[in-house]
Amino acid sequence: MILFWQSLINGLLLGGIYAACSAGFSLAFGVMGVVNLSHGDFVMLGAFITYWIFILAGIDPFLTLPFTLLILFFLGFFLQRLTINRLVGSPPIMSYLLTFGFHLVLSNLALRAWTADFRTVQTSYSGLTISFAGLVIPYSRLATFIMAMAVILGLYFLLYRTETGRLIRATAQDREMAQLMGVKIFKIYTLTFALAAAITGLAGSLISFTFVIHPQMGLPFTITAFCVVVLGGMGYVPGTLWGGIILGLVESLATTYLTAGISVAITFFLLLIILVTRPQGILGKGVVE
Amino acid sequence: MAFLECRGVTKRFGALEAIRNFSFALRPGEILGLIGPNGSGKTTLFNLITGLYAPDEGEILFKEKSIVHIPPHEICRLGIAKTSQITMPFGTMSVYENILVAALYGQNLGMAQAHVAAERILALVGLHEQRDEPAGKIPAPLRRRLELGRVLATGAEVLLLDEVMAGLTPAEIEQALVLLKLLSTQATIIMVEHVMQAVMGISDRILVIHHGEKIAEGTPIEVTGKPEVIEAYLGKRYT
Amino acid sequence: MLMRRPGLNGILLPLLVLGIILLLIPLLGMAGYRLRLFSLIFMWVALAGCWNLMSGSTGYIDFGPVAYFGVGSYCTALFMIKGGFPFLLSIFITGWICAALSLVIGLSTLRLQGAYFAIATFAAAEALKQVVLESDRVLDIDFFGGAHGLTLPSPPSGIFFYYVMLFFMGLVVFLTAVIQKSKLGYGLRAIKDAEQAAELTGVPALQIKIRAYILSSSLIGCIGGVEAYWLTYIIPDDVFNVMRTIQMVIMTLLGGMGTLLGPVIGATFFTLISEFFGAKFVYDYLILVGLVIVVVILLMPQGIIGTLVKKRGKSSWLF
Repeated sequence: MILFWQSLINGLLLGGIYAACSAGFSLAFGVMGVVNLSHGDFVMLGAFITYWIFILAGIDPFLTLPFTLLILFFLGFFLQRLTINRLVGSPPIMSYLLTFGFHLVLSNLALRAWTADFRTVQTSYSGLTISFAGLVIPYSRLATFIMAMAVILGLYFLLYRTETGRLIRATAQDREMAQLMGVKIFKIYTLTFALAAAITGLAGSLISFTFVIHPQMGLPFTITAFCVVVLGGMGYVPGTLWGGIILGLVESLATTYLTAGISVAITFFLLLIILVTRPQGILGKGVVE
Repeated sequence: MAFLECRGVTKRFGALEAIRNFSFALRPGEILGLIGPNGSGKTTLFNLITGLYAPDEGEILFKEKSIVHIPPHEICRLGIAKTSQITMPFGTMSVYENILVAALYGQNLGMAQAHVAAERILALVGLHEQRDEPAGKIPAPLRRRLELGRVLATGAEVLLLDEVMAGLTPAEIEQALVLLKLLSTQATIIMVEHVMQAVMGISDRILVIHHGEKIAEGTPIEVTGKPEVIEAYLGKRYT
Repeated sequence: MLMRRPGLNGILLPLLVLGIILLLIPLLGMAGYRLRLFSLIFMWVALAGCWNLMSGSTGYIDFGPVAYFGVGSYCTALFMIKGGFPFLLSIFITGWICAALSLVIGLSTLRLQGAYFAIATFAAAEALKQVVLESDRVLDIDFFGGAHGLTLPSPPSGIFFYYVMLFFMGLVVFLTAVIQKSKLGYGLRAIKDAEQAAELTGVPALQIKIRAYILSSSLIGCIGGVEAYWLTYIIPDDVFNVMRTIQMVIMTLLGGMGTLLGPVIGATFFTLISEFFGAKFVYDYLILVGLVIVVVILLMPQGIIGTLVKKRGKSSWLF
């Protein structure tokens, strides 16, 4: 029975992290209809930025977060401004392929620069755990989870309680109308993508304390983002929280009671089933074309 | 026998009742004019009949059989076709090919027969000059004629025409009326129109729809006299 | 957009001549590496052509074709290894199995639009890969061979595969040309241009899409089976690898989606580049591929053929 609860807790913590890693993806899709296939590479970059600053300058990983935020913000800013904005109005396949091109470039540049070695961020408190009632919770996982929640709350606050957020949501709902009301669409798009990249990078930094990092880690995270976002409802950012938690729980329980490999298969079957039966997501608030 | 019939049809979109308890019966060979202010539900009604939407309540019967929950392509094969207010041509194909597709699939013909049918319809709607032009690039009034051509090429017995006269010059309207009169000898027509002289002049009967409900039905003369109709269009002060 | 028959005749003769030359090449003494290279090009032209047959015709971007490649590889392998069936019979049955599988997957996914269809097909492919990878361990059997894969019986010479791949390439090109002039072709283009209008005009959209999907998928499956026999050794990570899907997509896009020759040009070009550069500088090659994709998308979104055609001023499905 303890195993079940441990598995549940693990799943919950994992789910929160997945949610934070996927929110940016949902944002990009909801506002611009862009399926960013290089999404996971922003996670990877965020993780590596934290890693290198930690290794080279000895700064505590949590303190590197602002750097990640800034760097990824500008990366997203320029990518959108220079390339993705040009595809507004083109068939969706164009943005899939463009962002896949980014994925190839980013992940292989990273491979070239940093080799395929696996790395971890080990701090003085890395191994610490909290125990109660026979359950073990690694301190770093818990801290990551809390920060991930903060990221999602922050994004929610930004989108639903600020003027800029309202502009973004208006553009998402009805681009033409927003344009007619004077909203500068391309600026909003650039801001949105920059924001999405920044959050994703931030999430990447957060996971560097708990996951092994390497240049090819991006693609699985992109896939995870698909699942989370479809479950929670494409384009509905608050839904990523639910999607992440459901996915985290499913994966954790499957890994515990079956094998790790089957857990991946289950993820995909779950995704497929949801797409076929309820594409608007668990909460029914997703954007369905 | 009621050819096409709606009985108590209701359609809701969320909290909005777009069509409420709508009933009418279409007689074969007649031209039925459907008029009403903008947003009164005319296009929704057409979408319900052609199977793009399913009614929340009520029945739609064609030749005494229910056509609710039948996919649009089957309804077309059964013999009901509509034009769209916002034209939807097959943009990368030529004008001729657009009509050809309708003949191929709407009438379920082989290639050779479909070509024959398509040539005939092309001439009938007067688009022979533009036959090789990409359908997405021709001007709007011609696109509407193409919509009509496609509908005719499906061989449908019931033609639902959604504002086919919009933006036409008086001379063009005259031509269109002649064509419609010709078509009505072989098909039954429901036409949604805002061009009053046209629809009043040619229709056998008129239905007036307002806020999704039928508020009047009868010959053009009967209907224009009714206070509800005048009120719907012009407001209470004018009755 | 075939508007005049002469368009097809114009290209028919050169294609026929090319076909004859290709048939004769091995008999004129080419062998070894060059023969293998040609066979590889034929295979990719066929694969890209299959993807084009589905996605280029309907506009539904399929991100899961590798599923059938993998299933096809394993079907053929299993029939030959466990069943002792001869190669050609195995390929034949494989085609039918992939057709059945694609009917099931197609019926569920082809109701979805745009990004959802893409993601669903991708998920289906990855799920199938995991099933093949993990089944043995989970069910405690020895069937798929898990991560180690399967080894097939010894294959005949390279010339045999040259002709088999040439056959499939010819078949795919032929089918693409035939369909395009046929009733099915018109239905497909109508769906691609305006699906709802097509439905209203009597085109049974789901049925038509499924037909294209089944045709494309079963052929991909057969080709997967051929490659399995050719390489003698298959592993899940290779035959279910998403990079194969990506390559099919890029080749078609590079050449021009929805055109007859687009996949031919794109696949030939891309295979040659990857053979000469890819093996030697893997990371650099992939970075280059990525950059090429970005440049093509931004500057030549219609692909090589498409852009050339646009310059000529007429749009053409055929060329």
